[in-house]
This record gives sequence, structure tokens and C-alpha cells, in this order.
Amino acid sequence: MTGPLRPDLAEKLAGAAGYGVDLDVPGMLWGALVLAPVAHGRLTGVDLAPARALPGVVAIGAEDLPRLLPGREGDRERPAFPTDTIVYRNQPVAAVAAPTLARAREAARAVTVHVEPLPAVVDVESRFPDWPGPEAAGRPEIAAHVRARHGDVEAAFRDAGTVVREIYRTASVHPVALEPHACVADVEGDRWHVRTSTQSPFGVREDVASILGLPESSIVVEGTWVGGGFGGKGASFVEPWALLLAKAAGRPVRLALTYREEFLLGRTTLPAVVRMETAVRDGRITARRVRLLLDVGTSLPGRDFTTGYSIGFLLGPYRTPVFEVEGYAVRTNKPPFGPHRAPFAPQCAFMVESHLEHVAREAGLDPLAFKADHLWQEGDTTPLGQPVLPFGLRTAFEAARGLAAEWRRSAPPGHGIGVGVGFWSTSTGAGGEARVTLTPEGIRIDQAERDIGSGSVLVGLAAVAERRSHLPRERIRVAYADTAHAPYDAGVFGSRTVGALGRAVDEALVEILGRLGARLAARGPVTLGVEDGEVVVRADGGSRPLRALVTPEEERAGGLTASGKHYGRSGVIDEHRVLDGTFYAYTDFTGAAHVAEVAVDRDTGSVRVVRYAAFHDVGTVIDPFTARAQVEGGVGMGIGTALTEEAIWSPEGRLVNPGLLDYRIPTLGEVPPIDVTFVEGFRGAGPFGAKGLGEPPIIPVPATIASAVRDAVGAHVTELPLNPERVTRALSRTNGTEQGP
Amino acid sequence: MTEFDLIVPSTPDEAVAVLHAHPPEEVAVLAGGTDLLFDLDGGRLRARHVVSLRRLPWRTLDWNGATLTIGSTLPLRAIENDPDVRARLPGLYTAVRAVGSVALRHRATLGGNLGRASPASDLVPMLLALDAEVELVGPSGERTVPVDRFVEASRKTALRPSELIRAVRIPEARPSAYLWQRVRPFHDISHMAVAVAFSPAGARWRVAVAGFPPRPILVPAAEAALGPAHPSDPDLERAAESIVREAPIVADRRASEEYRRRLVRPLLTRAVRACGEELR
Repeated sequence: MTGPLRPDLAEKLAGAAGYGVDLDVPGMLWGALVLAPVAHGRLTGVDLAPARALPGVVAIGAEDLPRLLPGREGDRERPAFPTDTIVYRNQPVAAVAAPTLARAREAARAVTVHVEPLPAVVDVESRFPDWPGPEAAGRPEIAAHVRARHGDVEAAFRDAGTVVREIYRTASVHPVALEPHACVADVEGDRWHVRTSTQSPFGVREDVASILGLPESSIVVEGTWVGGGFGGKGASFVEPWALLLAKAAGRPVRLALTYREEFLLGRTTLPAVVRMETAVRDGRITARRVRLLLDVGTSLPGRDFTTGYSIGFLLGPYRTPVFEVEGYAVRTNKPPFGPHRAPFAPQCAFMVESHLEHVAREAGLDPLAFKADHLWQEGDTTPLGQPVLPFGLRTAFEAARGLAAEWRRSAPPGHGIGVGVGFWSTSTGAGGEARVTLTPEGIRIDQAERDIGSGSVLVGLAAVAERRSHLPRERIRVAYADTAHAPYDAGVFGSRTVGALGRAVDEALVEILGRLGARLAARGPVTLGVEDGEVVVRADGGSRPLRALVTPEEERAGGLTASGKHYGRSGVIDEHRVLDGTFYAYTDFTGAAHVAEVAVDRDTGSVRVVRYAAFHDVGTVIDPFTARAQVEGGVGMGIGTALTEEAIWSPEGRLVNPGLLDYRIPTLGEVPPIDVTFVEGFRGAGPFGAKGLGEPPIIPVPATIASAVRDAVGAHVTELPLNPERVTRALSRTNGTEQGP
Repeated sequence: MTEFDLIVPSTPDEAVAVLHAHPPEEVAVLAGGTDLLFDLDGGRLRARHVVSLRRLPWRTLDWNGATLTIGSTLPLRAIENDPDVRARLPGLYTAVRAVGSVALRHRATLGGNLGRASPASDLVPMLLALDAEVELVGPSGERTVPVDRFVEASRKTALRPSELIRAVRIPEARPSAYLWQRVRPFHDISHMAVAVAFSPAGARWRVAVAGFPPRPILVPAAEAALGPAHPSDPDLERAAESIVREAPIVADRRASEEYRRRLVRPLLTRAVRACGEELR
């Protein structure tokens, strides 16, 4: 580590960094959206005339699309504006732009939306009170159905010594990035240009092309500084509406959601119900059955990824010889399901960890020993038949177990100690490309992403280059460009930035160093350094100025350049075990074991996290400061999922708490000191064996806190979040019969 | 937010005159603004004129013997920083600190909290238990109204058109305590709260409960059950029962009725015990 902690720090601390919401270009108009007044209804008319009567106002709806996009046809399944049916409350039905924001809002209010209300489906359990049967799989409200099975499930349950059956429920959580979705769009001729706060400029380009029916080549997306993403900015959102407004107005248009709109329209992780059954014989899990009903809002049929992906997490990283899993993604009249840091995995970990702890207690076994006996290690096979790759979770778990025992000795009455695990596989399969240029001044990395605040782009990519080349960090610059100029990258999501894009950087750099090594006829490794203010090439104990090794062509081209591509690797599952739908193989096996000490107030149900420790299998640490920050941030966010965060929907499909007053994210007052320990040596697919660390830190948190609450007061809570009222209800159920140690 | 004129009068008389000159539904009074601005920004309040009280000489805190008078525009932070408030009115100190964050309390005021009459106010229940009175000025002069009659319902007060809150008067120093329950301890709204105070002059307890609509209330039956200065455990039990029985506790999106009723006993017990330590 040779450079400043964060190259973006000074600019951001001084308030000089331009985020999407800060964009203000000359001559621009301010946009606003017209939102549907019901959750489900037949749209009979949108009267834009009152808005258009206001001075300087441009208003557009579905009927304007043929005029704005002559000869183009966008994706019929997700039109920019609905034409006949409203499918969720606050679905945008029209958009306006005006010279001031106040005028734009006034214009949006002036639009009349005519809707004949229809009954709304809001709650998946009341939609399927008896659980969907096999005939439900083809119904339009089922967006996905997955089913897999292995072994003689019935026999295993019949022959079990202990069988435990439970139902779990989890709440809807929102990413809550500090900066709302915001962009400025500008259309000149065939060039549709948008500057936007996004986790994926190329993803936005692809989405906009699909929604508007335009070729990708006519769309240019440029990322701004991003004020937090957490999964919520991984796909396009406001950009198509802003582009259409800009086209209609002939001027740039800024469109930003209000914070209230972030909640009302925002894509969130929606509620789920899970039935878990486990059979145990002689201290071993002999079979498990898991059934999932996942609310996916108005996600499109066939495009739900979460159900097939998360059902593996519901079995957990545990040896399970015989199993049956089935999941239904149920469409409801809510906004589409959207990712929230490790989509639905923290909820899955909470359910499987709480359940297996309960199973162990019911079977008279020590829960931690029971889990340790079943945790995967390299050489095991997942329930879906994929061989487990290098995996340090067992090592992390034993360290957590040791610390928990130590903490337990000093915990006062009313306190409890919990241990929870979570596992994850990073999205290194999504492609990434980078271009590396070496000059006598240093290394420049050209790529498409803006740092979303985590440091994975600005620090992570530079750290990879530093580690490979040995060139000091201050000589390495990470540059970005818009989608017309930058090499392709899938986006800053899925814990993939260092793993995939970093790997592309590394491959490009290896190629450059290899070329230099050939010129030097080097026998050993080639590295870079700085001498007399200039980059030198070191090999076999000697060093030569780079300048002396560069060809005239390279000098004219601005340096030695190479491109790296990483399109990942993927494992293989045993398709014979899959009966319906799509399941996914894991690329990496990464995970963490966490320890929490909590204080629980028996009378009020309040839970306070007193101290916290996290042990993470990361393969290889690429940058210690950034890695630690990721874990601290993930744990803090997880405390919200565990204890306070819950989007509440009325039976009519109205979001009851669309704001930070009643949607409670944790403050620093609720986040205790966090000890972070990295487990290295179990190599992953990233550069130098690194595994991703964006999502894993949040995954074990609700499970760990729930385990600690149970340890403290004996409350076995089967719903998230564990807010005070739920804890007191669970205490009433157990009636104080279960005591902590 | 719709556009409005900001009017900043220099004297109380001028402020009252400004209010008198406009239709009441077109005017909003701005003290700290920590609550008002949400309603203006969210369009729930459409004031064409906003009258700021920031130049009025009401940022005061005066002890006169055992009587405390707090000017209506004094930031809450100044109340919690007064060592006498902390020593002589510990319940008020706790209640003030329950409001928002330090940053917010540098702006928020006692007058604003009363005038806005939020059903979730952390200050109104404590002022009730302290028998506080509100000093008002208006076109027809001055008057004083007990807090119990001033806060009428959710967002509804006894303020007459063109009247302003000048100060809040607390008649005596009292052993007192304020206990609240929330989903999140910091920066949240109390969904159940109990304020208690023991009046040395009257030799009696005052008990207020809050956190549910329409407004914080005193519970005389609980006060009677607590009896003399040091209530026994059965006294406490009877007091809690009377609150559970008599208080119009309801559910809203923040908590169920059952949970709120369940909280009465622990909050009351802890609050009375906290006062008991001072009575010794």
C-alpha cells in the first residue's frame, strides 16, 4: 500500500464530486413522473392537456411513443409507459419536463389518470393459502417454478430419529442508497446520450435499447459518481423516461426520483415464506425438504433469477445427502423485485441457520458442533451435485466458534452470544474487459465503471495492478470512459469487480510484462519500479528504464497497451437432480462466519448489538483497508435487515412507510465495533486467488443476531426483522421455558 | 414545495400583527422548522406566507426559585445543556434528549413541538406530568393555558387565530422520569412512552402516557394508585393496570395495541423507580 487510502477521498470530502443528482447542465429542463393511483387497474385514459397548458411544460405518455420513436418497437413486456393495465401502485404512466422543478411537479399533479380499479394481489400467502399445487406452475402469476430432488426423500423422513418442520417469513427490504436514481439525458439526431448514476453503464445501454427499441450503437451511457448502489442501481430505471422527455423537448432533461419515490417505485427484495423440514438420524442430517414462496412483484415471467439461485442457499453450505426443494416466484401487484446486496441471501441464511440450530436443539445436539460436522469442505459435493472448490468456511467457522466461547465466559446476564454463517458465489461469470497502458509515467487502466463508493474500482483495480507489477500505487491511475469509448464490462455488482474486471486488468498487465520480459530475455519474473522519477523494468536482478525498451510504434501509440478479458468460469451441476426450472452452479465458494453479542430487554423486546466479529474466506486479500471497510459496511447494513428494516404493504398494495422515518435503517448508534479477520489460502477465481467481498459481509448478519437473541432470552424468532414486538411475541410463545446459559 | 414569502418580524407585536393580516390557512409559523418543513416540502401544508420567529426575544431560560420558564424559540439543545434542568427536572432532560439527534435539537424548539402537536411528541407527555403551562400572546392580549388543555388532539391545539406561544412555564422542580420504547433507539419515534413526576408541593404523582394517537394524556387513576411518595409493588401493579384499563391505547403502523399495552408495566415501573432514587 503506497498511495492514499482512497484516490476519490479529497474530491468527495470537499463536496466537489459530481453525483448524478448534482447534474445541472445549461438549458436543461426538470423532469417529473406521473404515477398510477391504484395497484391494479384498467387504464382508460391519461389526460396530459392540463400539464401541457402550463408554460414551458413538455408532457409525454404511451401515445407519444410512435411519434418519438418512429419505426421502432420496444420490448412489449416492459413498455416505457403502460397502455392498458396498471400493475403496481405508483407505476409511472406519463412524464413531464419543465423549466423548474416546482413547475414540473405541478404539471405532474395536473395530469389526470383514468383507471378502473381491479382486485390487487398483494400477499403471496393469501393468494396461495394451501400452497401452489403442480397445476400452478403454468399460471400467469407464477414467474418461475423450480424443483430439484435427489435420493429417497420419503424413506429418509420415515426412518428419521428426529423430524423438525418450521415456517419462516421474511420482510421486504430496500437498498436505501443515499443518492436517489438520477440522470441527465440529451438527444441529438440519432445519438441518445445519458449521464447517470449507475452500477452498470453497459447494462443501462442494453436495457434502454431493449425498452425503446433502439440499436445499442446509438445509445451512449456515461456514469457519474454514484452515491451508493447496494444493488438498486444495477439496471436502468429513470433513463428511458429521461431520454424520451429529452427527445420530445429537444433539450437536455434531468430526471431524479424524490426520496419518497425511491421507496414507492423502487425495486426491492420482497417478502417470502419458506417451509423447512429436516430429518436427523444419529446426529446426522439424513434429508431436507425446502419449499419457497417468493414474492417477485411485477417481475416478468421467465426473468426471475432469484428463485433458482437462492434455493441453494436455503439448503445452506451443509452436507445434505437427500433433499427435495421447490420454489415458486409469485407475481403480485408490487414494483418488480430488485436486488438488495446479495439478493435474498441474508434472508436465506437467517432461515437455514435458525432452522438448523432449532433442529440440533430438538435432537438434543450442540448446535455449533452439529453445524461444524456438516459444513462443506473442498472435495464435498453440493446437493445439486457440484464439486465444492477451495472453501475456507469451516476454518472461519472454527475461529468464530472459539471466539464465541471466549465471549460467552464474560457475557453478563441478559446478554447472548450467537454464531451464524453465510455462503455466496460471486458473479465472475459476467464479463469484463479492461485496457492497460504502460508509459514511463506509470500505468493507466481504461474501463467503463465509476466507483460506487466501495473502492472496488478505484482502489481494487489499482491494487491488482500494483500487486502484479510492483509499481507504487501513486503511479497507477484508473480512468473511465462512456460506453462509446470504454471496453465492455457487465457492472459493479455481484461481488465481481475485483474478481472479474480485476482479472482482466491482471491479464492485460501480464501480457505487457511478458512482452518486456521477451525484450530483456528475462529468465525470472518481470516487475516495474520507479527510479529517478521514471518507470523502470526489473528482471533477473537488474533494471532498465522503460523508455529504452519501448518501440517507436508504441511511443507513437502513447505507450505499451494490452487488453484483458475475463468472462469467468462456471461450475457444473448434475442436471439429473433438476426436475423443473433453472438452477445455477457456483463459480467461487466464499463465505463467512460471524459472532455477535447482544443485550436483550425481556420486557420490551429491544435488542442491542454490543459487539461483533466477522471471519471471512476471501481467498486472497487484495487491499486490506478496502476489504475491511466492505465488511464493516456490510455488517452495518445487515443489522438493519436483522432488526429494523421492513417495507410494509397495505392489503390494497400501498406502501405504508415510504420514507426514512418509518423505514428504519441503522444509525451509527446501532452499529457496534466490528472485528474483522480474513481467512486466506482457499483460492478463488479472481486475480491472485481473490474472491469477491461486496455481498458476503451482509449475508450471515441476521442469522447471527437471531442466534444471539435466542441465546440471550430463549426467543426463537422465525420472522425478519427481529424488531422488539416480534421478540416479545416469540418470548410469549416460549413462555420463558427456554433459558440461555 | 410550493413557493412562499418568508416574513421575519422583529417584535412580538409585529409578529402578531403579521399573523392578523393574513387568513389563518395561508400562514405557517416557523420556529426551528424541523417538523414544519417536512409538511411544506411534502405538500401537506400549502402556506403562502411563512412567519419566522427567529428575531423575537424568546430564546430564554429563566429559573425563578423552583419555577422554570422556557422561551418558545429556545433550541432544545440549550435546555438539555442547562445543569439545573438536568439536576432539578431530570425527566425533562431525558425527554428533550429523546428528540431526534443533537443536530436536530440545535434547531428544534419547545414552542414548535407544542404548536405542531404531534401525537408522537416526546415532550408533551413530560410537560403534562410537570403540570406545565403555555404562555400565549395574541391580538387580544396574553393568556395562560395548561398543556393538558392546550394540546387538544393530533395536530390540534387551543391556539386562536393570530396567537403565538411565547413561553412554557413549569411550576416546580420535580423528581421525574421519562421512559420510551422504539424500534430503533436513536433517531426514531417513540411508539409507547411513560412520563412520571412527583410533586413535592402537592405530595402526589403525575403520570402521562404517550406514543399513540390522538395525543399524550394524563392518567389520574394511575396517579391515585401510586399513592404517597414511595409506592409499593402492589401500588405499581394497580397503577399499571389502571393505565392498561383506562388509556385509549390503539394500534397504528408503528405498533400493535397489544404490544403497547404490554409495555405499560415495564415502562411505568422503571420510571417510578428512577424517581424513587431521587426521592431518597
